[in-house]
Amino acid sequence: MFLTRSEYDRGVNTFSPEGRLFQVEYAIEAIKLGTTAIGVKSKDGVVLVVEKRVTSPLLEPSSIEKIAEVDTHIGVAMSGLTADARTLIEHARVETQQHRFTYNEPMPVESCVQALSDLALRFGEDDDEDGGMSRPFGVALLVAGWQEGEGPVLYHTDPSGMFVQYDAKAIGSGSEGAQTTLQEEYKPELSLKEAEVLALSTLKQVMEEKVTATNVDIACVAPTYHLYTKEEIEEVVSRL
Amino acid sequence: MVDPKAAAAVHSGHDPIKHTTSPYVTGTSVLGVTYRDGVLLAADTLGSYGSTKRYKSFERLCKVNDQTIIGAGGELSDFQYILTLLEELSNEDFCADDDAKLSPKEIYAYLSRVLYNRRSKMDPLWNSLVVGGVQDGKPFLGTITMLGVHYSDDHIATGFGQMLARPLFRERHRPDMSEEEATQLLHEGLRVCYYRDKQTTNKFQIAKVTTEGTTISEPFALETKWDYKAFVNPGALAMGTW
Amino acid sequence: MANVAYQLGSSGYAANSAHSAPHAHPSWSPYDNNGGTCVAVAGNDYCIVAASTRLSTGFSILSRDVSMIFKLSDKLMILSPGFQADARTLHKVLQQRYIQYQFNHSRPMSVAACAQLLGNTLYYKRFFPYYTFNICAGLDEQGKGAVYSYDAIGSHERSGYAVQGSGKDLIQPVLDNQLKAASPLVLPPENWMSSLPLDQAVDLVKDAFVSAGERDIYTGDAVEIYIITKEGTRREVVELKKD
Repeated sequence: MFLTRSEYDRGVNTFSPEGRLFQVEYAIEAIKLGTTAIGVKSKDGVVLVVEKRVTSPLLEPSSIEKIAEVDTHIGVAMSGLTADARTLIEHARVETQQHRFTYNEPMPVESCVQALSDLALRFGEDDDEDGGMSRPFGVALLVAGWQEGEGPVLYHTDPSGMFVQYDAKAIGSGSEGAQTTLQEEYKPELSLKEAEVLALSTLKQVMEEKVTATNVDIACVAPTYHLYTKEEIEEVVSRL
Repeated sequence: MVDPKAAAAVHSGHDPIKHTTSPYVTGTSVLGVTYRDGVLLAADTLGSYGSTKRYKSFERLCKVNDQTIIGAGGELSDFQYILTLLEELSNEDFCADDDAKLSPKEIYAYLSRVLYNRRSKMDPLWNSLVVGGVQDGKPFLGTITMLGVHYSDDHIATGFGQMLARPLFRERHRPDMSEEEATQLLHEGLRVCYYRDKQTTNKFQIAKVTTEGTTISEPFALETKWDYKAFVNPGALAMGTW
Repeated sequence: MANVAYQLGSSGYAANSAHSAPHAHPSWSPYDNNGGTCVAVAGNDYCIVAASTRLSTGFSILSRDVSMIFKLSDKLMILSPGFQADARTLHKVLQQRYIQYQFNHSRPMSVAACAQLLGNTLYYKRFFPYYTFNICAGLDEQGKGAVYSYDAIGSHERSGYAVQGSGKDLIQPVLDNQLKAASPLVLPPENWMSSLPLDQAVDLVKDAFVSAGERDIYTGDAVEIYIITKEGTRREVVELKKD
């Protein structure tokens, strides 16, 4: 793709003659530099695992937050420019709370993902009020949720504003290798415990460092969001 | 001397906001009936200024398009304003040049929103409107009050007509009436309005809408009879307490 | 009924004329009361909603066949006695919201969701209320009857049955008696859902309207009844006295 690059990669609202928006493609590239994040759906819930790059022994690992709660039934894992994700998550939190206020029910997960994608696509607009940005977001999200009447669901969103549902999905620098593993190992009848192991062992394969309770985060939505404690992570690690 | 404060208010665009709190020149009842081939509306031509017969040839029945007519009671200047709104819509239909016109039910729905929205601004259009038309080969007759209350029925009467003419309609109206029968019924309604409503004059119009189109009659007078004993010497027969 | 913000109907006129100049007009009110009675009964596997069809103002009957029931779907209805113009506006607002919800969330709005939405919509106009006394009724997601009743400014509660409108004072005690509702104050809470079989409940509703029509001048002409079950929704009309 870089061979055909020309003047068309300057503006976010100019298509190249081949019909591409380079800035969006670059934003997707930015995700490939990010840490790996993996989501696996099981029959009793969705597991999210992320790698935390603890770059210095003086760094406080718990201050790296790459999994966030959106609502009691929705959690997201991120990869890429994680600062950008704050805007997206804030938006999703407002949307889900607004839905609860208006309808006294949890927001459908797909509607929440749709709201995230709508915001992701609102770059380069004249009035960049309420979260709209001058450039595309440089972050991809794995959205884990519990959908009433349906059960566990997992979505992937990226800076192009696209979103797709997955049984298991990896994003970030190790995503290519991890996705292959997931494809080989995934079974729909997985239990939550087995999904934890599949997700974490897949992450382990693509991580340079050894997996510890400090350099990964794990969360599940089963059926409510829960971020694992250090002890709980250690317990999963022990089962690898 | 010009009040400098008032002049300043005018120039700075801070005129006091004025809302209608009572009507000035008013029309009284509008009657309407459906019949076999369409709808007939009837009203007199008086514009009253309080108890003064101020305008004696005011046409309160108007054509909106080939399938719709409306009639109005209440503040007549507000009615003329409503006519300009409808004219704008008709002009748009004309400019589109696609032969599509607003249907009677659309006009009825539109006017109900206009009157409701104005009442919600606490600045009402002081009218009772009656919309008559033919839609999908069937007669349509509806009415809207200044508050936005609206309903359609086989026969309708606004204002005093609700008390005076509607009982006659309830007794005698049939949806399959001929034009002659329907006209006759309206005459009865108008006559009783003329006898008992001070604001009614003996100069009426009847508007007709059928699949053939709309017509509004020339003003006419009804025959009346004033030599009833009760009219000649009401006191003699009134055995009431007053 | 809470007398909200403005004096309503003829009482407003009378009260005013006593104090104002001889030729002054009565003060204008943006409200009217068009009367009418609504009833909804929730059963374990059905919901009955019913409303009279007379439209009145003061002592006049404006029309004998005007519906107060707004059908959002086969399984979800809003009944709105009170000021007809406000009711119709409210229905239009809810219709828009219902359709938007379907587009946004690819599913029909549940009775519970609609109940909350209606409450918010009414409260949004807290200081210039919709003068309507609504019932939101239908089948919930478990297929059980669901009835919510409201005041004009959005307070609401789910119950086993509800009565609103001009005939409320006449019908409510009869239903309290016949449906043998457990008091909401009883602890531990008892089921308040009507245990009456459907056909008996329908007859009870019909009798309630016939009786209200006898004494309430704003209830009459006809009563429109929707019987909502899993199998579908059926509409019935029972004629009432026209006097």
